[in-house]
Amino acid sequence: MPRRKPGTLLPLETEILGLALSMLRSGHATFHGFGLAQSMREQTGSRSLTGHGTLYKALSRLEEFGLLSSRWEDAPTAEGRPRRRLYELTAHGADVAERALADTAEQATAPSRRPAPKLA
Amino acid sequence: MTPERIAELVARWVRFYTRKLPTPIARRRVDEIDADLHDQIAHERAHGTSDRRIALSILSRMVRGLAADASWRGEHSTPEKAMKSHKIVLAAAFILSLPLLAMLLTDSVAWGPGDFALAGALLVGIGLAFQVAARNAGNTAYRIAVGVALAAALLLVWVNLSLGIIGETGDPADLMYGGVLVVGIIGAVIARFQPQGMARALLATALATAVVAVIALIAGKHQAPISSVWEILGLNGIFVALFIASALLFRRAALKRPRVDVS
Repeated sequence: MPRRKPGTLLPLETEILGLALSMLRSGHATFHGFGLAQSMREQTGSRSLTGHGTLYKALSRLEEFGLLSSRWEDAPTAEGRPRRRLYELTAHGADVAERALADTAEQATAPSRRPAPKLA
Repeated sequence: MTPERIAELVARWVRFYTRKLPTPIARRRVDEIDADLHDQIAHERAHGTSDRRIALSILSRMVRGLAADASWRGEHSTPEKAMKSHKIVLAAAFILSLPLLAMLLTDSVAWGPGDFALAGALLVGIGLAFQVAARNAGNTAYRIAVGVALAAALLLVWVNLSLGIIGETGDPADLMYGGVLVVGIIGAVIARFQPQGMARALLATALATAVVAVIALIAGKHQAPISSVWEILGLNGIFVALFIASALLFRRAALKRPRVDVS
C-alpha cells in the first residue's frame, strides 16, 4: 500500500474521484460501493474487484477530506435488498478531481515524476 | 462453497473487526458491506458467473482488504488495540510473503489464491485468538501457554495441508488430526479457559496425538514409501511435546494464581 504524504491523495483515491467525476458528467450524481468497484474493474480491465477493506477505507477517507458526501438510500428504493450507501462528489471534490485528471493527462503526455494530487 | 456461505464468512469478519467500535461507525460498515455482498452476488449471477467463481471472488476481496480493515479499525479505536491488530496482519502478510517469494525462485512451490487465502485466514485467526487470550490473561505463564498451544495447532494444520503427516499428501489418515484439534477445542470450552482445566485439555490433546500415531502404525502406514516408523513417531512426537509443554505452562499459571479469600 503506498504511503500517504500529508495533504495528498493516494492513487486509488484519485481513481475514485476521477470515476465519480465521469459519472457526474454522464448524469449519475450518486454511486455506491459495489457499483464503483465494478466500474473500476471495467475501466482498468482488471479481473478482480477492489478488496472490501481497501475500497471502503478509501471512500471513508475521501469523505473525511470533504471530497465526497454520503447518505443511505431510501428504504422504498431498495426494494427488499439491503440499503446502499450512496456517495456523491462535493463541489470541493469535483475541483480536486478536475485537477487530478488534468495532472494525469499532463503526466501521460510528458512522462516525468510528478507529485501526487494535492487536496487544497 | 456457495457465494452465500462466503458472504456470511465476510459478514462475520466485518462484525469481528468492528466490535467495540462506536455503534454508528460499526453499524455503517456492517450494513455497507452487507449491501456490497448482496449486489456482487446478484450482479455476477445475472451475468452468468458460476457460484464457485463468485465465492472465490468474494473471498479474494476479503483477504486483499484485510490490511486496510485492520488499519481502518486502528483509526477508529484506541491506539494500543489498533497497533496490536495491525501487527497481526503485518506478521501474517510477512509470513505469506515467504511462499510468494519461494514461488518466484523455484517451481517446486506452487500456491494458488485459495492456498494464500486459507493460510492468511489461519494466521490472522490464530493471531487474533492469541490477542484476545493475552488480553484476558492473568500472568505471563498463561500467555506463553496459549502461544505454544496455538502455534502447535497452526503448525499441525499447516503441515497437514501442505505435506501431510501420515503417508503421502492427501492420505485420509491425516483427517484424524482434525479429531486432535476437536479434543483441544472441546477441552478448552469445558475448562472455560481457566488454567487448571486448560492444562488437562492440552494433556488430552497430547494424548489424542499419540493415539493417532499408534493407530497409524497399527494400520501399517509406516510401510508407505515416504513415512517410516521414525518419521511418524518423530513428527507426532514434536506435537505431543508442544502440547505437553503448553499443559505444563498452564499448570504453572494455575499455581501462580492468587487465591480468593472467601472468608
